[in-house]
Order: sequence, then C-alpha cells, then structure tokens
Amino acid sequence: MKILGVGSGAREHAIAKKLSESRYNPKIYWVGENRNPGILRICERSGGEFIQGSATDPEFVGSTAKRLGVDFVFVGPEEPNFHGVPDRLEALKIPCIGANRSVALIEMSKAEMRRLQWEYDVPGKLLFQTFKSAEEAYATLQRYSETLTWLQNVALKPARQAGGKGVKVVEDRQIYLHEEKQRFKSKHVGWLEGYMRGYGDIEDKILVEENVWGPEYTLQCFTDGKTVLGMPMVQDNKNAHEFDIGTETGGMGSISGPDMCLPFLTMSEYEASLRIVEKMVSAIQDKTGKRYHGVVAGQMMLTEVEGPTIIEMYSRLGDPEALNVLHTLKNDLVDVCLAIIDERLSGVRLEFENKAVVVKAIAPKGYPDNRRLAAGHPVEVDEARIAEGGCELFWASCSLQEDGRIVSAGSRLVEILASDETLPEASARIEKVISAVRLADGWGLFHRSDIGSEELLKRRAELAERVRRLYHYRLEKGTIGKRVDWLPGVGKVDPVKMLKEGLRR
Amino acid sequence: MPGIMGFYPFGEGRENWDASRFLYYGLTALQGRGEACTSIALIDNESKQISVHTKNSHVEEFYKLLSGNKVRGYIGVGQVSPSEDDGLVEVESPTRLVLAGDGKPSYEGERGEAFRRLAERLSTLLAEKNDPLDAAAQVISEAGVGFSFIALTENEEMICCRDPLGVKPLEVGAVGFDLGIVSSESAALDVVGATHSGPIQAGECVVFDPLSIRRRKQGISNRRAYCAFEYVYLARADSYINDIPIYAVRERIGEVLAEEKDVEGDVVIGVPETALPFALSYSRKKSIPVKLGFMRTGRHVRSALKPTQFERLMGVQLKLNPIKAAIDSKDIVLIDDSVVRGNTLKNTVLNLRRRGAKRVHVRVGSPAIISHCPFGTEVPPIDELIGRALSEDEIAEIIGADSFSYLSIDGLVKAIGLPKHMLCLGCFTGEYPSKEEVR
Repeated sequence: MKILGVGSGAREHAIAKKLSESRYNPKIYWVGENRNPGILRICERSGGEFIQGSATDPEFVGSTAKRLGVDFVFVGPEEPNFHGVPDRLEALKIPCIGANRSVALIEMSKAEMRRLQWEYDVPGKLLFQTFKSAEEAYATLQRYSETLTWLQNVALKPARQAGGKGVKVVEDRQIYLHEEKQRFKSKHVGWLEGYMRGYGDIEDKILVEENVWGPEYTLQCFTDGKTVLGMPMVQDNKNAHEFDIGTETGGMGSISGPDMCLPFLTMSEYEASLRIVEKMVSAIQDKTGKRYHGVVAGQMMLTEVEGPTIIEMYSRLGDPEALNVLHTLKNDLVDVCLAIIDERLSGVRLEFENKAVVVKAIAPKGYPDNRRLAAGHPVEVDEARIAEGGCELFWASCSLQEDGRIVSAGSRLVEILASDETLPEASARIEKVISAVRLADGWGLFHRSDIGSEELLKRRAELAERVRRLYHYRLEKGTIGKRVDWLPGVGKVDPVKMLKEGLRR
Repeated sequence: MPGIMGFYPFGEGRENWDASRFLYYGLTALQGRGEACTSIALIDNESKQISVHTKNSHVEEFYKLLSGNKVRGYIGVGQVSPSEDDGLVEVESPTRLVLAGDGKPSYEGERGEAFRRLAERLSTLLAEKNDPLDAAAQVISEAGVGFSFIALTENEEMICCRDPLGVKPLEVGAVGFDLGIVSSESAALDVVGATHSGPIQAGECVVFDPLSIRRRKQGISNRRAYCAFEYVYLARADSYINDIPIYAVRERIGEVLAEEKDVEGDVVIGVPETALPFALSYSRKKSIPVKLGFMRTGRHVRSALKPTQFERLMGVQLKLNPIKAAIDSKDIVLIDDSVVRGNTLKNTVLNLRRRGAKRVHVRVGSPAIISHCPFGTEVPPIDELIGRALSEDEIAEIIGADSFSYLSIDGLVKAIGLPKHMLCLGCFTGEYPSKEEVR
C-alpha cells in the first residue's frame, strides 16, 4: 500500500507516524514546503519518499499522487483544502482524506460559516456582522458604541481563516476606558482591511462577532459525509504567553483526557457539541451538494448565552490538537481512512486509550507576529534526552537542509507530547525536557510552562463552572440563545431578530 | 506597603495603547495602599525613551498636575505610596531602568535606599548577563525576603519578581490577545477590565519582552511568609491575594471574633470600610442585627495611613459621623479592623456615647499590633503601640468602652486558612521570617 500525505508541520508528523504504524505496512510518501525531519525519517523507513514542493498546488499534488500510484492521499492542513487539492484528486479518481474546496468553506470563510449556521439554525450561534471595508465597519461600531451591548464587546476578525492571525477581542465595558478601546478598535479594523488585501478569494473582509467568555475546547471528528465520529475533546491554548497573555497563535499547547471529556467539561456537553458538528456537516453538504470526506472539527466555547458554541470550524485536524487524539487512538488509522473513502464509517467504532495527554509547542522569539525574526535559526535537539524523559518529539516548522543542518522556518519549531495518569504529571514531564531543544545561534525560544498545570486546570474548572451555572439556568428558564437590548430613543430591540432580517435581505 | 502596577502590550499594533490611562485607573484602585506619593514611568511610542513622573499627591491630583505635559507611552509602570517622596527608583547605568517596589528588600537602609541598592544590582546584572531572566533570578536570591517589584528597562523588558517567601503580593492579569498587566492586587486588574490569571509565585521572576514572557521559579521549600496584615487590612475586600479571596477571610474573621469572646448586644456596627465584612458575619453568627453606624464625609481616606495625628483625627471625624437613629439607647458591639495607637478608636467610642449608645463593646478583627514591620509597612514607634503597652481591660478603660478584645493570633490564622508556616505574623508576634529560612 502507498499513501501520500500533504503538509509539513507537527500535525502532519503525527499523521505520518500513525499511518506508518498501520498493519498494512504502507509506504509513506509526503509533499510539503519544509523538509520536516520527522516526516522525512518516517518516509525513508517505510520505503517511501519526501517530495519538497507546494502543498497548496492542486496540479503538483495531483500529478505527484498519480505518478506514485498511491492508494489514497491524506491532507493535513487547511490551505490545500481551500486551494482545491482534494477536488483535483477527485477529478483524478484518487481517493482523498480531506475536505474539498466547497465544504471547506466552513473553515475558509468565517463569515460564510456563520451565515450557514444561522440559515440552518444550528445551535451555538454568535451574533455577527460582516464588512467589506474598514470604514464601513468602523462606522457601525461607532454608531452603536454606546448603545447596542454586543457591538461594544466584540471580537474583530479577518473574515477569512488566516492561520489564526489578526483576531482581537475588545471588551468595552469600562466607560472610563471607552475612548482608549474605541481608538484601538478603529486602528485594528484598519489593519484588518490591509491584511485581507492579501486574500482575493473572499468578498467579506472584516467579521465582527459578539464577544463571549468561557472555556474553549476542540472537538475533532472523522466524517464520510454520512456519519460523524467524535474523538476526545482537546483544549488548545491560543494566547502566545504564560498567564493566558498575548497574541493569538495557532496554538501553544493542548491538553486532553484522561477520557473522552476534559476534566472541566461534562459528557452532556460533549454530546451537545458533537450534535452541533454533525449539523454543520449536513448543512454544508446540503448547501453545496458536495460530499464531505475527511476531518471536521468544532473549535468551541462554553458560553453563557448558548451553552456549547461554535467559535470557528476546522476542515482538518487541529495543530496541536491532532497530536493528542492520534496518540490515544487505538484504531488503525488506515482502516479509518479506508472506511471514510468507502463511506462505511457507520460500521467503525473509534477507540481511545484512557490517558491524560499534554502537548506543548516551542517557538522561536518572533512567532507569531514577526515570523522573519523567528526563521533561519539553526536548531539543535537532544532527541535521546526527550525519549529518556518519556516524551515524544514532533517536528514542526523546521526544514532539513542539504548539509544536514535543521533550520527554523518561522512558526512553532517543535511540539513535545507526554502522557500520564493526570495532566499535571504529563505537563511536568515535558517541563523536564524543554531545555533539550535549543537554537544553536543563541536566539531565544519560548513555550508555556503553565499548560496542563494544576493552577491552570483549577482556573479552567472554575471558569467552566461559572458559565455552566448560567447557561443551565437559561436552559431551565427557556431563554437559551435569547438576547434583548434597549436603544434609547428607539426602544426595546431583539438583536437576533435584527440579524435574521439582515440575512434575509 | 505601596501599590504597584505594570502595563505591557503585545502583538500587532502594540504601540497604539496608551499605558497612562490604564495606570491611572489601576493606581486609583490601589490607592488604599498609599496615596501620599504617585509615580509613573512610561516608554514613549516613538523615541522608546523612559520618562518618569513623580509627585507628592494622590492619583487624581497627580494626573491633573501632569496634564500640561505630554505623558504618553505604550509600556508603563506605576506606584502609589503612603510616604512622601517615595516614588519609582531610577538607575541610569549600566542599564537604565526604573523600579516600582512594594515591601523592602534585605539591603541596608530605609525602604527607598534598600530598593535603590536592589535596582542598581539589577542594572549591573542585566549588563553582565545575556538573559534578563538570569539577572532577575540572581537578584531574588541576593535580596533576602520581604519585597515585590516591577522593573522597566530601556530594552523594553518588564521584570516582575517576588521574594522567596512571598511576603508581598503580586498578581497577573490579561486583556484579550493584547495586554499583560501586573499589580499588587487583583482588584486593580478588574478595574481596568483584565482577567485575573493568578499570582506570581513566591521566589518567581517573570520577564516580559516584546516577543515573549518567560518565568522561572526558584527551587524552594514550602515555607512561605505571606503578610497576614494584607488579609486583615491592607488589601481591598474585592481582591484575591495568593488565590485567597480577601472578602472570604474577612467574613471568617467576623465569625471567629463572635466565637472567641461572648458578649451581649442589641446592634452590631462596623467601622467603615475595612471592618464592614467582619461586622456582617459577626452579626450573622450571633444573630444580632447589623446596622449602618456611620456616614462618611469627603473622599475615602484610610485613617491608619495618615501621616500626622492631627490629620488622622480629622480624617476619622470627617469620615465617621455616627447615625444617631441606629445607635440611640442601644447596646452596641462595635467592630474595628485594627488598633494601632488607640486614639481614633477612643474618639469613635466617645462619639457613639454622645449619640446615645448605652453600652459599647469593642471587638477588633486583628490581633494586637506589638511590633514593627521590617518589610516597609509603616508602624509607629513601639512605645506608641497601645496593644504592646496595655492589656485588653486597660484599653477598654482608656477608650471608654465596656469591653474590648482582639482577635487571637490563632483565630486569625484559622480565618486566613493557611498553616502558620505560610504566614508572616511579625507585627502581631515580633517574630519575623528571615532569609535563612529560604531554603
């Protein structure tokens, strides 16, 4: 058997590893921009090959797959989905685990995702508004800045998935800091407009959503378009720095286990979240008339107004969340892939080991905002020490040079995984081997020591409990999802009704 | 026991933030810790230079005095202090830095002098070592016990440290994907709209730079010396210190007071503001109704902090006008937070009698203050401390109360809910944590 993988980060390293462990003993081939040393090694050992090239180029990936005569292709990241790599493979009649361009719209356009959710009335919604220019966005924010509650406390996002970049949350609840926040909002919508100029594949530029608070989690699922099978819940940590401070990143580390649920979430929240993801899959298939083959994930939050709520959708495994679930998945991943391809996922039972898993990313200083600063540094890793410490290394944004040196490529450098009975034990295990990763030129690295720690778990649990009390109360009173506001001089308004009327227009 | 705060933005557009607005409201929230001197330092958005502004005034007035000048910057630290001329410490070279400090490190000299030595040492170590985290860790290991500080360097680093026994608090918060804020108390984080992330640990240093936050915890024993006076009096009731909610401690203090010494009364009255939670839970425990006993006039002034006797008495008289209708012909249990010299309390009891109180039983929510604070909290000379000189019965006689009693030390420990080896009870016992206990 021959399998071709696409992408070259830590997530793809984890996928390659899992595929290579299959009872089919497949030859592993891979296409990616960076010569990821981990993937390279797996390809070599399996008798396959790593082919450096554009993972987002449908022609290149298609012709490579055809030339190699692979049994199927596994697409790791989202950008190849957005660029139509799975569509090209379909045209070539090569089976593919990866959302085609049409269904991947639920991730590519955060604006379209939200419209679809409202149109099909999938639970876990957020109020939103889209804009084609900064001027338009600012005018609306300004107009309602002192009145409509949800427009005072907002998340400002690029309307397109942009590698987790550019999201700002502005809570304008302190009237005495209002001017300051207002000024910041206007600067940021301006910045977003400029940033979105780099993407010509979407009409909406700026997405403004109501700001919500609560614990976040990711529910990743396999789907063949008919069945959606959930994996254990994972919590990623998006803030770049310790104490949940700083810029949004692709994820600085993730926790999962010891069972399907996280310690601070409940099984009924798991079930409700899974229903939401299922409904989104049906909605996008119904809307586009296309089949969804691959991975779908809800990046979710427990919120006061809605309970389990969609923040964003993924058309692929999360990174680092993929590492958590693939580590404990007991099934042969190739079997799962074949079942997706043949659309017989309903006959598959996913099984996972009951283990607490912690993953931590290590990034060069400069990530995520100044990637040029973060790139080009020689990497040194004491792999033996990491293995001795009971941890597993996954190579991420690194490239193996012809001369054998490994050089940083600008994003997260490596991800380290440990599993144990409890999350704090797994976290402590990783902390002991962090210094095994360094940059030979002395450029600084950072990671988050607090991920998986007792203190952070305690805080997450306390937060979850606070939100749970509120949304359970709304469930009891039948006010879940309800928002009411008051515009002085206008009267009582229903922001949900306003939004629905806007969508109909 | 000044209040200190640091403001640090991250990411795209970080230069757009105006740190001085946040410090204004944050320091205002910390003003209970001192208001004789306000001091802030800002790094300018363009020149990247640090400017320092210090005035012997409370925060509001400070900002009014500054309003003519250009005070803008996107990174900043600030301090409010109970002593005049106690502003941020500045060191020019080898590394230019400014430092906001609470408590007092174990260097020679007065508080300001000791922090100057610490700041100079930090400046030197920063120049010598490649990694500011190494410099910070070394300063912590050299500077003994009893301090927290936030230093801002010319290289845009914000260095936050707590001594190895954690005597003085330091809490961290976050705003969105943008801001990191460090403050003596979590209430100041709430006020500027930050989410409280938790404390910096005892012996921990945290270094903010434009591209990262890194922290290091020293390997230490489980000995701590969290200042017990923070829980009784210094910190705001809406703060968390070391993950312990101040309000809950103060409620327990009221309950313990009620358990420790029995007394009959018609009404429980708390002396505003600090003793109000004591009074509420005392009342609940004893099933004696609580009433609002006083109205305040003028700005909120923390009477124990006023520098001169005259100002203290004036502060108290202005602040505490008894409400006659609440006390007339009643037996009163009067709850106060602490007694230092006893003269303000004497006045209060007298005022209550004049408005018709029949009996006045005084209960104090802290043990007797009998000794000084080596960590910079201003306590009068020991021969002025009434709790050191006189017994409870003698004090009752002098202040004109029908009975008088303190909270016991064990009662306080119970109310805080931590074992004794994690607290500094020095002002109540005369026994202090020392740097020899660090490891």
